[in-house]
Amino acid sequence: MVASEHILVEGLSKVFPHRGRPLEALRRLDLRVGWGEFVSVIGPSGCGKSTLLRIVGGLLEPTAGRIHIDGRSPRDAQKTKDIGLVSQDPSLLPWRTVLGNVTLPLEVNRIDRRRPRFQPQELLELVGLSAFADYHPHQLSGGMQQRVAIARALVFQPSLLLMDEPFGALDEITRSAMRYELLRIWQSARSDRPRTVLFVTHSISEAIALSDRVVVLTPRPGQTRAVIDIELPRPRDESIERSTQFLDYAQQLRKLLKEESP
Amino acid sequence: MTDAPLREPWEPLALAPPPESLRGLRAVAAYVLPPAAALAVGLVFWEVWTRARDISILLVPPPSRVIDRFLDRPGFFLGEGMTTLYEALLGLALGAAVALVAAVLMAHSRLAERALFPLAILVKVTPVVAVAPLLVIWFGFGLWPKVCVAALISFFPFLVNAITGFRSVNPGAMEFVRSLQASPLQVFLKLRAPSALPYLFAALKVSLPLSLIGAVVAEWFSGDKGLGLVIFTANYQLDTPTLFAAIAVLAVIGVALNTATSLVERRVLFWHEAFREQN
Repeated sequence: MVASEHILVEGLSKVFPHRGRPLEALRRLDLRVGWGEFVSVIGPSGCGKSTLLRIVGGLLEPTAGRIHIDGRSPRDAQKTKDIGLVSQDPSLLPWRTVLGNVTLPLEVNRIDRRRPRFQPQELLELVGLSAFADYHPHQLSGGMQQRVAIARALVFQPSLLLMDEPFGALDEITRSAMRYELLRIWQSARSDRPRTVLFVTHSISEAIALSDRVVVLTPRPGQTRAVIDIELPRPRDESIERSTQFLDYAQQLRKLLKEESP
Repeated sequence: MTDAPLREPWEPLALAPPPESLRGLRAVAAYVLPPAAALAVGLVFWEVWTRARDISILLVPPPSRVIDRFLDRPGFFLGEGMTTLYEALLGLALGAAVALVAAVLMAHSRLAERALFPLAILVKVTPVVAVAPLLVIWFGFGLWPKVCVAALISFFPFLVNAITGFRSVNPGAMEFVRSLQASPLQVFLKLRAPSALPYLFAALKVSLPLSLIGAVVAEWFSGDKGLGLVIFTANYQLDTPTLFAAIAVLAVIGVALNTATSLVERRVLFWHEAFREQN
């Protein structure tokens, strides 16, 4: 049975107990993400967008609300490897080679053998690192390390990729190149089954360039302020960032984000 | 003016880079020669000073007399040195093993840490010299009292470093490995143990000389052999050249252990910030 939505979030609230002064990170947030959609979540710092991602990824329990990933709980989806995770810090194991880092999930898991998986070499080729299989992370640039983290997240061919400001720590030039690299990876790996991406960022141009839809959150406690459909043609490359349509979207988002600041 | 290329005064003459094998030798020489030269100067000064001032051999023998004494019976000194080294390393291994097991428990359970850590501090603050006679009563004059003293003295540095090491895991990597549903054993083997390695090497560097101290001290109390006994006997007989020769052998053992540890560390921790090759 396939649920009509890939991700369904209803009335999600998260309160962190914080020394007698509870911190309300998210308040009654609703979100629907369809199969194969690329959705970005954008909002001011501390608006709970990372918290949202971690709850969808099964790393945090919500205080209230309902989350379904393909009709199941995030924990269950995590157990069956239907979620791939990339965070801002690539968090590679420095004593392992690039190849060793990518194959780590295969070693750790006693998983259903029928589960489809990428051949590690094929994955490295996909992220453009096949020549670097035997390198160690400290010999790679930040952008290359993040590619390894993406490859590692894709090993089990998850249908859902959760990305928490994956390019946030990169320099501006690498950062904008990685956008289109990610789109290429997303689209080339898309053919066998729809791959959904939920992408957290605080970069307006990143959100527009990547997404089918952009979800704007309010400052803490995070609530959905607006959802913008990005109707730019795919495949996209850097030239769309100069199109008037792109600039209009940027203007619109900037206004939405400015309104919110107190 | 000639048309020679301009050169900054501090810029060395360009030399062809030496071949790979020579470069390795040069690197070693660069580290070994300066301290060796300093040591040689010191020894010469010492020799001249004791002879010029006619200082009693009972107080400070000149280096030549110490070397003579060593060369009289090199097998004796090296054999006793091996005994002490064996006791120290065995004690170090025992102390490290107990410390690692305790650290695994404490890194996983705050309750275990609260129960056991004060006991470990008790072991640490009790002067090992005070405990040594007791160990002789318990274990007699054989190998074990020395091993136990060496183990006691090596235990604490390993414990503290291992606990810190097992906990100093990159939180992002920990979250990722947990998200893979890794078992606690897998988390330990794939993540905690390698993360702790730099800390364990630091512990080893502290504990190696300590374990030598432990073995020598134990030999004073229950010496049937070893450099500690040699020192004790030479002291009793006012045989200062033998005393110095034994001390020198101990020092050489210490330096050798330290160097070996550094070399192994550099190879094992090639990925660590402190040892990364520049690229």
